[in-house]
Amino acid sequence: MNPKRCAACKYLRRRCPKDCIFAPYFPPNDPAKFACIHRIYGAGNVSKMLQQLPDQTRAEAVESLCFEAKCRVDDPVYGCVGIIHLLQTQIQNAQNELAKTQAEVAVAQTKVGQTQNSDQFM
Amino acid sequence: MAGPGSSPCASCKLLRRRCAKDCIFAPYFPPDDPHKFAIVHKVFGASNVSKMLQELPVHQRADAVNSLVFEANARVRDPVYGCVGAISYLQNQVSQLQMQLAVAQAEILCIQMQNEPTLQSHHHVLELDQDHKALLLQNNNNNINNCSNNNNNNNNNLGYAMSSGQFNSNFASPSSIMQMQMQMQMQDPLKQESLWT
Repeated sequence: MNPKRCAACKYLRRRCPKDCIFAPYFPPNDPAKFACIHRIYGAGNVSKMLQQLPDQTRAEAVESLCFEAKCRVDDPVYGCVGIIHLLQTQIQNAQNELAKTQAEVAVAQTKVGQTQNSDQFM
Repeated sequence: MAGPGSSPCASCKLLRRRCAKDCIFAPYFPPDDPHKFAIVHKVFGASNVSKMLQELPVHQRADAVNSLVFEANARVRDPVYGCVGAISYLQNQVSQLQMQLAVAQAEILCIQMQNEPTLQSHHHVLELDQDHKALLLQNNNNNINNCSNNNNNNNNNLGYAMSSGQFNSNFASPSSIMQMQMQMQMQDPLKQESLWT
């Protein structure tokens, strides 16, 4: 067995070939990363997804898959969709607050204008 | 088959197997919507989905399936970033709104200070605040222009995007994704009731 197997091949208990598709993204010093992604997606599905992507995008794809897998492990019902919902709620609240504040600015500016006009006629 | 006169669920049809009476997929993957299971199977795999559902209480499984379908759709539409692209886009929106809110609040403060009779003699203080306000407005406009340039190719109607799973984002990086994760964990607790009602 190659002592320098990647984390994926170590987890799957197989030989790590020179052209292992997982090796660049799952170093042996971080076994939890592959374990998490394998639990949610499965090694076969991850391998297929990576094979369909150009080389230069695979690292980003692995990171996003890991993020989503971690979210799913933390929240088995909603996964990262829960985060999306939370952000949408934050956006809605911020929009409401902004509209209210902008209305206050308009009122305040109107009052300043009225005060300046009345000062001119005094 | 599931029973006399009833057709197998979409998952058993796709997997070409007998649909048992207690099939775990049957309540959530009706036969009239084969695409729903097909996309979940493509991304997660039937056995993984089955394991995930088995680990959940029955009353939460429908929500879990819906969120899995959503994630699978996002991943098919954006094979590199999936849902993370949407999260990045939404975070940008939150940041923009917070900046706009800060500017609006600064404007109110300036106007209130202008109206205060006791401070009218301190012109240098007002000038400094107006400069600061101008700087804030300038920075906000620059940031909004930069963000709008980055978002030109994105679907701004997130309501529609939520229902159809359409996302197109190219600005998430691995380090920013992990930072997002940390920020998300520090936010308010996620809602426990159903997100789909």
